Amino acid sequence: MAKFMQQRGVRKLLKDRLAVSSMWVIGAYLTVAFAVLLGNSFSGGALKAETELRIGADNVPGAWTSQTAEERLRDATFYFDNIKKASRSSDPASAYAALEWGSDRLPAWKADRIEAELIAPAAELSTALEVHDELEGNIEALALLQQFEAVIRGHIGASHDADGNASRSFGQSFRMLLGTDRQGRSILVRAIYSTKVAVQIGIISALISVLIGTILGAAAGYFGGIVDVIVVWLYSTFSSIPWIVLLMVLASAFRGTELDGTLIPVYVAFCMSFWISPCRVVRGEVMKLKELEYVQAASAIGFSRTRILFKHVIPNTAHLMFINFSLLFIGAIKAEVILSFLGLGVKHEPSWGVMINHAKAEVLNGFFWQIGTATIFMVILVLAFNTLSDALQDAFDPKHI
Amino acid sequence: MSTQQAAKPVLQVEHLSTCFKTDQGVVTAIDDVSFELFAGETLGIVGESGSGKTVTSKSIMRLLSEHLSFQKEGSVVRFEGKNLVTATEDEMREVRGARIAMIFQEPMTSLNPVFTVGWQLDEALKYHTKLDRTERKQRAIEMLELVEMPNAKRRFDEYPHQLSGGMRQRVMIAMALCCEPDILIADEPTTALDVTIQAQILRLMDELKSKLNTAIMLITHDLGVVAQTCDRVLVMYAGRVVEAAPIAQLFDAPRHPYTKALLGSIPKSGRREHGKRLPTIEGLVPSLFDLPPGCRFAARCAYRDDHCDAVEPDLTPAGPQREVRCHYPLEAPEAN
Repeated sequence: MAKFMQQRGVRKLLKDRLAVSSMWVIGAYLTVAFAVLLGNSFSGGALKAETELRIGADNVPGAWTSQTAEERLRDATFYFDNIKKASRSSDPASAYAALEWGSDRLPAWKADRIEAELIAPAAELSTALEVHDELEGNIEALALLQQFEAVIRGHIGASHDADGNASRSFGQSFRMLLGTDRQGRSILVRAIYSTKVAVQIGIISALISVLIGTILGAAAGYFGGIVDVIVVWLYSTFSSIPWIVLLMVLASAFRGTELDGTLIPVYVAFCMSFWISPCRVVRGEVMKLKELEYVQAASAIGFSRTRILFKHVIPNTAHLMFINFSLLFIGAIKAEVILSFLGLGVKHEPSWGVMINHAKAEVLNGFFWQIGTATIFMVILVLAFNTLSDALQDAFDPKHI
Repeated sequence: MSTQQAAKPVLQVEHLSTCFKTDQGVVTAIDDVSFELFAGETLGIVGESGSGKTVTSKSIMRLLSEHLSFQKEGSVVRFEGKNLVTATEDEMREVRGARIAMIFQEPMTSLNPVFTVGWQLDEALKYHTKLDRTERKQRAIEMLELVEMPNAKRRFDEYPHQLSGGMRQRVMIAMALCCEPDILIADEPTTALDVTIQAQILRLMDELKSKLNTAIMLITHDLGVVAQTCDRVLVMYAGRVVEAAPIAQLFDAPRHPYTKALLGSIPKSGRREHGKRLPTIEGLVPSLFDLPPGCRFAARCAYRDDHCDAVEPDLTPAGPQREVRCHYPLEAPEAN
């Protein structure tokens, strides 16, 4: 390592102030991502549950506003289910208190009151929905829903002071820092959690793509002949398919399989389209390298061709691997956002793309903080990586040394 | 300088012809090259650029691209009873490095820039010997000391860019000799070095040759280098061997007009002739795509006649250990 640090490229990189600060930024993101990843797996998914937690009350912008009848029903059902569960637990008082959007009025409710004011209207509501499945235009059900909402709202707004501001603990204030989305979930918590998804997708897809691309490109450049023809044919074919179309096709091809909902379709799609650029660059470089005397000297020593390729030629393309990795890393993050925005990418957990997708309707109503937060989180990471890959190029390109 | 070689040659090259497939058709880069190499001798191969010196050495090592080149029927490179031209790739790998080693012209690019000198030496030893880690390191440092690398222990952990050209060439020689090969092919080993370093490297190679009894095939276009180090010389022109002779005889009494012209064009120190141009050989080497039917040197030869233009001469014996390819070989001033 000390040897590595002495190398001219590294020294040059460390002198570049912009590069060093972008490395700090990237380091911070990586730390957050790994902290989330570890925290989530050690707590058995508690952090993921946190992102789904409703902390918003009706005075929190974004909650209880501009919703379709379907979404209103979903929200009402959420509150209803939680209240019902709490009322039926062995210790209703503390179960009510544990509700994060908790109301200090709720514990005062007796079981019979909950029965009368919540459970009975809910039963009526579901009967009305059974009669007429559609909520939109179902006047009876809509009226019941409104009544039901009014009951719930009356109670969950209880912890607010005279000005309508909620008095909150530090944890709650932190969660409220950037507001909530329409479902009352903390935007900040979701954006931070999304860092993990972004970094995970970035690292895995960039790493696999660079490996595949380098090995195929190097083999094509070094062996030439039929290997070269096959690899060139492969990447010309793949690059003639617009990558977003390929990604969409692949993402939907996995629908309904057991991999649906995991990140695996996303990785497959990204690797299939991203290996091309490192492959092309490495192939060109290796074609140049194999004519150099040290490669010939290696064959004069008697090494086999595969050994020369892997031990003597590919290490000389390391600078290209670094640069391509950083380019593909941000490429993957941006592609994930686009894909999730289209509803084809990440599911069952928040990501910046999912957040931007959810923010579509909010933005039209003037609520910009969800889209703003997700975008800023992404832009800072992408910018830092772009700066770093420029600096890497400057530092490690042998022509500039 | 021994002219008395062991009777049995370590390497016999017979009728070696190498052709390249190009866009303009097949071109024969070396045509019917035959020679023998004896243990402990230095054989020089001289000639202009494009005369086929490097192709000869790379054909022996089979380092030319198999997509682009091939050897003609009847080409034989006999090494330890095997014909290397038809040997399998696995057999070749056994020979390369371990039995026949090669060093290259450009010490600046002959070492892999991303690995330390020690790593590269170790890699060669790992491949060809059964030594363990510490033995290999010890052997590598011994080799570096053998090639007179100053501060060998420290250099072991350095990268090629930290070494000078001469030191890199020493490393290359150490790598080539670390498995004690029978034959060392040196393809213009000193061309890229300055004159003092060149002298050091040549002296080093000569010492190592006598220490390890390695046969050296020295490819060069520098007749000065040949005079300094070789026992025998092979002169090549346009893919053909035109003259083969022991060193002293070649310099004293060249039999081929081309050899004579080459020797004549060496600038001589101490004899300043003001206003006189340095003698050169007029004309150019013929294109390999468009070879004359007769002698390949005819167009530039001072002694040619119509017979030379029509019929190509054969390589004929001209005295002990001497061969010449000329219809009218020059007479030696005194008989052999």
